[in-house]
Amino acid sequence: MKRLVSLLFIGALALLLLYVVSRMPPMGEPDNPTATRVVPRYLEKAEDETHTPNVVTGIILNYRGFDTMGEVTVIYCALAAVLAVLGRERRGRIRDYVELSGLPSSVIVRTMVALVVPFILLFSLYTIFHGETSPGGGFQGGAVIGASMIIFTTIYGLHLSSVKVPQRFRSPLEGSAVITFFLVGVLGFFGGGNFLTYAWPRVSEGLHPALVTWLTVLVEVGIGLGGAMVLISILFAMVREEGADEPLA
Amino acid sequence: MNLWHNFHYAVAMVLFCIGLYTVIMRRNIIKKIIGLNVMETSVFLFLVSIGYRKGGIAPIHGPGADPSRMVNPLPQALILTGIVVAVSVTALALSLVILLYRQFGTLDVSRLFREEEEEAG
Repeated sequence: MKRLVSLLFIGALALLLLYVVSRMPPMGEPDNPTATRVVPRYLEKAEDETHTPNVVTGIILNYRGFDTMGEVTVIYCALAAVLAVLGRERRGRIRDYVELSGLPSSVIVRTMVALVVPFILLFSLYTIFHGETSPGGGFQGGAVIGASMIIFTTIYGLHLSSVKVPQRFRSPLEGSAVITFFLVGVLGFFGGGNFLTYAWPRVSEGLHPALVTWLTVLVEVGIGLGGAMVLISILFAMVREEGADEPLA
Repeated sequence: MNLWHNFHYAVAMVLFCIGLYTVIMRRNIIKKIIGLNVMETSVFLFLVSIGYRKGGIAPIHGPGADPSRMVNPLPQALILTGIVVAVSVTALALSLVILLYRQFGTLDVSRLFREEEEEAG
């Protein structure tokens, strides 16, 4: 009975949604309202106003900077909540995935991971530092760093990866995204503008515009580092197992 | 009917319903979280495809980049925000699931409810 009602509800919802979608303007036409109202303003003025060639980065960090600062706070809060629920990891008290899976740890897998991880880190640095001129940015680069540590931890175990990224290194950097964003925002006052204006009014009066670009890159680096450390800490808190709490013999 | 032109939107809506079905019907909590992620992804797909335009180029200024041909950058920026929030929600949900499993030894919702009733009664 419950199953039938749920299916009916979902079916009705699907029909309604498909009907609405079929009445929307055709996708990708240049004269759609989504392409004619706000967006031309962004596309034409973004490079002069934000000094970042990538308009998406300009929107995230400059036009909607306040929004992104709140979002950075959200991931920090998520980390705080996860740590409040699970607790920080303790070193040396878990066996790695390869041991737990019952298969002998394969030399091929270990060698491949050790070879690939440095290149993944290099790619993530490229993604972070070129976020203002090419697709990418702090969040993406941070996620790539986190992914590389996920590979490393599943194969080499929590002990080794928490030696590589120790807690005394991670815990100050977890808040770096929020702190950099806030500091750069406060710099907006000294630039003669409001919070998070990236010294814009002074630039329009002749201050060197590269300053805005460098501040944007600084925020990107802060977000990348902070996001990566938050992801790694969440991973370590989850990987730690209650049953494996005894130290390894 | 524009359904054929808008089939990206239609796929997003179907994905949304699949995710909702998973959230409602599955009894395993991890599968419910996967369903939630499918719903989130369908919304991202919907918004990003709204920003698409035919023959558009990436919204990055540079030599040969014509602003009048660029795709809409606004949904992409919004979705970056959305993805981060989705990751945060998933991380928190999964950590609560880990705690539930340690406490009750099961991920089945109906069995969890039964355990809870037994503890209360």
